[in-house]
Amino acid sequence: MALVADRSFYVLGVILFMIVWQIAASLRLFGADFSEAFSPLAAILALIEMIKNGELIHHALPSLRRVLLGLSLAVVVALPIGVLVGYFKRVEQLTYVVFQFMRMISPLAWMPIAIIIFGVGDVSVVFLLWLVAIWPLILNTSHGAGRVSPLWVNMAKTMGAMDMGILRKVVIPAAVPDMLTGLRLAVGVSWIILVPAEMLGVPDGLGYFILDTRDRFRYDQLMATIMAIGMIGYLLDSANRWLIHKFSWKN
Amino acid sequence: MTTERPVLISVRQVTKTYKKNGREFHALRDCSFEVMKNEFLVIVGPTGCGKSTLLNLIAGLDFPSAGTILLNGEPVSGPGADRGVIFQEYALLPWRSVLKNVELGFEFRKSPMSRNEKEAEAMKYLDMVGLGYAVKKHPGELSGGMKRRASLAMILAIKPVILLMDGAFNALDSKTKMTMHQEITRIWETEKNTIVFVTSDLDEAVKLADRIVVLNREGSIEAVLRNELPRPRLGSASRDLDFHHRFIAFRETVMNVIKKDAGLRTCAIS
Repeated sequence: MALVADRSFYVLGVILFMIVWQIAASLRLFGADFSEAFSPLAAILALIEMIKNGELIHHALPSLRRVLLGLSLAVVVALPIGVLVGYFKRVEQLTYVVFQFMRMISPLAWMPIAIIIFGVGDVSVVFLLWLVAIWPLILNTSHGAGRVSPLWVNMAKTMGAMDMGILRKVVIPAAVPDMLTGLRLAVGVSWIILVPAEMLGVPDGLGYFILDTRDRFRYDQLMATIMAIGMIGYLLDSANRWLIHKFSWKN
Repeated sequence: MTTERPVLISVRQVTKTYKKNGREFHALRDCSFEVMKNEFLVIVGPTGCGKSTLLNLIAGLDFPSAGTILLNGEPVSGPGADRGVIFQEYALLPWRSVLKNVELGFEFRKSPMSRNEKEAEAMKYLDMVGLGYAVKKHPGELSGGMKRRASLAMILAIKPVILLMDGAFNALDSKTKMTMHQEITRIWETEKNTIVFVTSDLDEAVKLADRIVVLNREGSIEAVLRNELPRPRLGSASRDLDFHHRFIAFRETVMNVIKKDAGLRTCAIS
């Protein structure tokens, strides 16, 4: 019973938000000319139209592909680095300042450099997404690998384990919950950086489509695209929360 | 009867110092004793007297500042699967089931075992400690006694020649403790291991030990006492009046040795 009540409050929040938004639009709070197009009703209608004529899929798929590619490459690079940084104190000391420094730089600052090196197009976008995703992955993985109980390591040693065995059987599995937390953060920032990154001269994607709708004065479609970005982001995050729930061990 | 057994571990003039807040202090001071093959040796002494340090040195997890520890005549150079350590805290991996925890030791072996072999072997030890019914559970779902049994099975499964147990039954309630005493005695008698057991519980020491090494507050050996009480000492045997008197008399003896050590009031001996 309580669960039903809990769930209905989540839904209620969304409905209230829509109502406030619609009232604001009806009161023409977004300006006399644009309030009509900026209303949730117009956005939902445009969204249905975009789903029907395939425009949404046409732009969402390249976006998802870029994000997943950037994330996969980031995971491949970041997890081994994170484990080494977390497990070996010297590696942590060597990398600490550089990593903390690098993670504070918005990948968009690298945009001109990415374009000079990789040219305009897909490669630059994926590079920027990769660059933003590696830091939360590295830092969380190393945190997880670093707080492995010395008791477990000692036990493995007394069982005859070497460094490699300890890493594979103790350190890495122990760090899985933190890796997944890192992944969740990485997905979040990647999805946020995606939109500006796709304004970099690619011919498709949700970021591109934002500019395209603006240029065509289709503000209802612009709002619909914003809605779609939020929804897909929410779904990606939910998938991550499910992963964390499924694969995290608890003490 | 212990006199005829060959020497397995030889602790020779071992001193261990630590630096703490810039000051050097002695955890162990010139300790020498021997552990015979298949002996049940118990180390007692007040808290902070270096009992655990001594065990860690034998395990090879730490090294003496002076002196040597010989194992079969060879100096200890690091940890090894011939010495299984059961720590005071539970060292079970929380993401593995009880069965998978016991299988862990097999995964570090050079020669791979099939999944069925591993499971059969692990089950043997889980049955031995009486935990065969809970193999699918995770450590978080176990009681203190069950965790103890699981750790014990985990270590027994690597077939150590020597079992090093550090306050292994400390946190258990008295009934579980009693059962564990019976289990460990039975396992020791059938598997013929050598056990070095650290505790601050005198009753426990007298029930289990062939010999008792008493450490004092300075970290040196106060006495090594031979326990002449006949086995079995647990269960129905302990209800025999004559046995009971001898038990108490020997416990008194051990207690008197400890009392000679200054600062009795701060001793954690019960």
